[in-house]
Amino acid sequence: MVNEKQLRDEVKKLVSRDDVKYVIGYEQGTYGFQVTPSFAFTPEEAERFIFSPLCANNLSVYLMLEEKPPLRKGEKEDTRKVGLVVKGCDARAVVQILQEKGLKRESLVIIGVPCTGVIDPKKITVKFPHQIKPVDVREEGNHYVLTINGKNQKIPKDELLFEKCKQCEYPTPVIHDVLLGDEVKSTKKEEYKEIKTLEKKALKEKWEFWSKAFDRCIRCYACRNVCPLCYCKECIVDQLSPQWIYRSVNRSENTVWNLIRAYHLAGRCSGCGECERACPMNIPLTMLNKKIEKDIKELFQYVAGVNLEEKPLLAMFKPNDTEDTIL
Amino acid sequence: MKVSTMEKYILLKNKLPEWINMITPTYTIFAPVKEEDLVFFKPITKPSEMTLAYSNAIVPPKAQMFHQTETMFTFTQGKNIRVNPASLPDEKIVVFGIRPCDAKSLSIIDPVFTNDFEDPYYLTKRKNAILVGLSCNQPTVNCFCTSLNGSPASPEHLDILLTDIGDKYYVELNSEKGKQLVEKTKKLFTPATDADSKKKKDVEKKAVDAITRQMKINNVDAFVKKLDTIFDAPYWKTIAMKCLGCGACTYLCPTCHCFDIQDETTLDKGARIRVWDSCMRPEYTLHASGHNPRPERMNRVRNRVYHKYNYYPKNHQMIACVGCGRCIDNCPVNIDIIDVITKAGEVKP
Amino acid sequence: MKENPYQPWLATIDSICDEVGGQRAIKTFRLVFQDEKVREKFTFLPGQCVMVSLFGKGECFFAISSSPTQKGFIEVSVLKLGKVTSALHECEPGDVVGVRGPYGNHFDVSGWMGKNLVLIGGGIGQAPLRSLIKYVVDNRKQYGKLDIIYGARTSKDLCYTKDFAELKTCEDTNACLSIDVKEDGWSDFVGFVPDNLMRVNPSPKNAIAVTCGPPIMIKYVIQNLGKLGFSEDQIFTTLEMRMKCGIGKCGRCNIGNLYVCKDGPVFSYKQLQNIKGEQ
Repeated sequence: MVNEKQLRDEVKKLVSRDDVKYVIGYEQGTYGFQVTPSFAFTPEEAERFIFSPLCANNLSVYLMLEEKPPLRKGEKEDTRKVGLVVKGCDARAVVQILQEKGLKRESLVIIGVPCTGVIDPKKITVKFPHQIKPVDVREEGNHYVLTINGKNQKIPKDELLFEKCKQCEYPTPVIHDVLLGDEVKSTKKEEYKEIKTLEKKALKEKWEFWSKAFDRCIRCYACRNVCPLCYCKECIVDQLSPQWIYRSVNRSENTVWNLIRAYHLAGRCSGCGECERACPMNIPLTMLNKKIEKDIKELFQYVAGVNLEEKPLLAMFKPNDTEDTIL
Repeated sequence: MKVSTMEKYILLKNKLPEWINMITPTYTIFAPVKEEDLVFFKPITKPSEMTLAYSNAIVPPKAQMFHQTETMFTFTQGKNIRVNPASLPDEKIVVFGIRPCDAKSLSIIDPVFTNDFEDPYYLTKRKNAILVGLSCNQPTVNCFCTSLNGSPASPEHLDILLTDIGDKYYVELNSEKGKQLVEKTKKLFTPATDADSKKKKDVEKKAVDAITRQMKINNVDAFVKKLDTIFDAPYWKTIAMKCLGCGACTYLCPTCHCFDIQDETTLDKGARIRVWDSCMRPEYTLHASGHNPRPERMNRVRNRVYHKYNYYPKNHQMIACVGCGRCIDNCPVNIDIIDVITKAGEVKP
Repeated sequence: MKENPYQPWLATIDSICDEVGGQRAIKTFRLVFQDEKVREKFTFLPGQCVMVSLFGKGECFFAISSSPTQKGFIEVSVLKLGKVTSALHECEPGDVVGVRGPYGNHFDVSGWMGKNLVLIGGGIGQAPLRSLIKYVVDNRKQYGKLDIIYGARTSKDLCYTKDFAELKTCEDTNACLSIDVKEDGWSDFVGFVPDNLMRVNPSPKNAIAVTCGPPIMIKYVIQNLGKLGFSEDQIFTTLEMRMKCGIGKCGRCNIGNLYVCKDGPVFSYKQLQNIKGEQ
């Protein structure tokens, strides 16, 4: 686990630099198991930073959300760097953005956290539904130790971990300027278990499964907005002429929306699972992304966001590429 | 119309299915139904489909009156344009198991749909609906209705309120509509005793005490004025930095009522539809010229807060928040309205 | 239940006047309600707006640019900008649109009787003022002096040139045009609208000033009106916002707690000074 003092010291050092605007990290949330994104502009603000197994958010989304209001007369563009705390999956999103030239490497300072997995907030709130006061959560071997009302509770990691973490291949950030602690090796056991089960189902069953899921969609676009790789200037769903997707919330339009989003992330999704975490309707969005990820791995032997020197998948066409995907 | 002295009855728990069955032929019953660990208000055909062991529905029952997607009318395109009014449903509905906070939210948004121009889509459904509430005996972490003068067991904006007091429901009739519904099925109900009333009070007190998170607004008028003084405070920017600009908070809010109107067409036919919209989106206020009066997330976050805690009280003399906690539960980045408002109170003008 | 306020009446495009060409084209559409009863029932005052539908494309909110003194039709002037306005520009006489309204408040034409009026417009912002001008001209005796100051970027960008040709011949009306940059054959003022205002130099005594146009023009016009001695409650403007319902429900056109569609579009400068909100 990360030494929080080391983290804060590192952040303080960064924000004291003239060429750093601010650093994005985590701080204690407002209740229970909540952790919230935090922006440190000063060393004092860095004091708030924490890192615990509750730090699920992929903060790289904020890199693309930064607003740049038009410059006033005589005003110069602020080209200072932004610092960012990343876990393994978050770092892959950063690599992907850099590959796509969404950002320049020199505009970032990356603090890498070798990650041993994070807790799924949905799972932990089911176990401890009425937790108002902040809870201290520590990792001890294969267990999490929660201190609630002064009492320690030991829970096997597997019961609380995000499913994505159990399949993580790159727990140590593939890109970083500073790495806090030692590298962590992947403990991935079985790959794509859920996807393989779904693949075996009959077409009708699959349709029923997804119809039911998409029927719940309220089109709040939390999946899109929380996604570091959904950074189109104008999202296809907002376009009016031509209008590809109608605003009506029904099975047809919802399905189109969710599938288009999944396809726009094909070969780009870093598997951070933020879409599914943010979805208030419990739509299993990672399954869509994982299915495409699996297909791409099999068809093109490609994994998104692991190598900064590589081009994005869609930019590296080879004449001998498989044509199996073309109908 | 409110009944002057509220009538109080007892309905034994084992009689509840019978009651539902008795009213099912006359009313479409929307009740809490569990699906994928979430609870939705859905039409039920038999009592066994519903679940009453729930905290609250993920989508507020405003959706039963103010549909997320509503066809306003249809039309034919081309030279001979004809407009065909949408038929407004005359089905009578019962929203069963609605929480007191959500019932209050409907009273809050009523003026929007009533004032100046009557909104036929909302009002038809609203008038045809009977709200049968269920007291919230186990408020969740982010419930804070008591901070906004609500109570988890208040019959105030309901036609009927049921409170689980052990092996029976304490039934309060709060309107003519509610009275009539019970009148037709009177044989299932027995008058409540003083002991029952005391039990209800105890249950209510227990629920009130279980609400631990509190939003600090001592005086509404003073708070409205306070917000007037901190409109330009950098405070809003610090909150907005975290905001992703998704619409989860607004879509799941029981008092948010903004909508978009669009035409959707096939080759020769078309429909004018209205759909929920969200002030958290830049497109919401974007002019065709490219000008946007609320260009930054700060403007939009502030607008959401001000609309509920400043503009709405100015226009309708009430805060447009009931303390249901949905926006807190569902924010992916922990923007917490209790915290936002409480801290706003401390911001220096 | 009363009439459905969202359902438009059908109206036929009677004629179309090309006001301005090019990229930012402006056309004025004369609309006649198909139903005779609606034609009679539909009354409005200068400053009010209508929601015009192009079925299949959507709706847009426009100020009525004709005057209530003109019977049997209404006119709207449309700047080609977005999806609906572009489609409207493709329309021809005889095409059918939907109209609902009138919406919003209006210029206080009865309260302003006996007063001198200074009407300052720029570009398409002249549309609501055109309604007011026509109204005042048709009720000329009830108002005092009438100063009209109107400008655009070039002479080709000026709207309502026919109206102005007539206005210039009216003895009791002072119509002053301007263009931003010098052109051959232009005999009127060259310069920005706020500067033309200073040149005309109207007296604030017993006067009301109304200004509509681009926000930057309004800003300097109001500054200059202040210099001329106009007080905050003598200055009026109309505002525009993205709108959908037009009846104060859909939410988006708010400035603070006021809705432009319902509480506006006409606001006094004094009112605007006191609202906290984004414009």
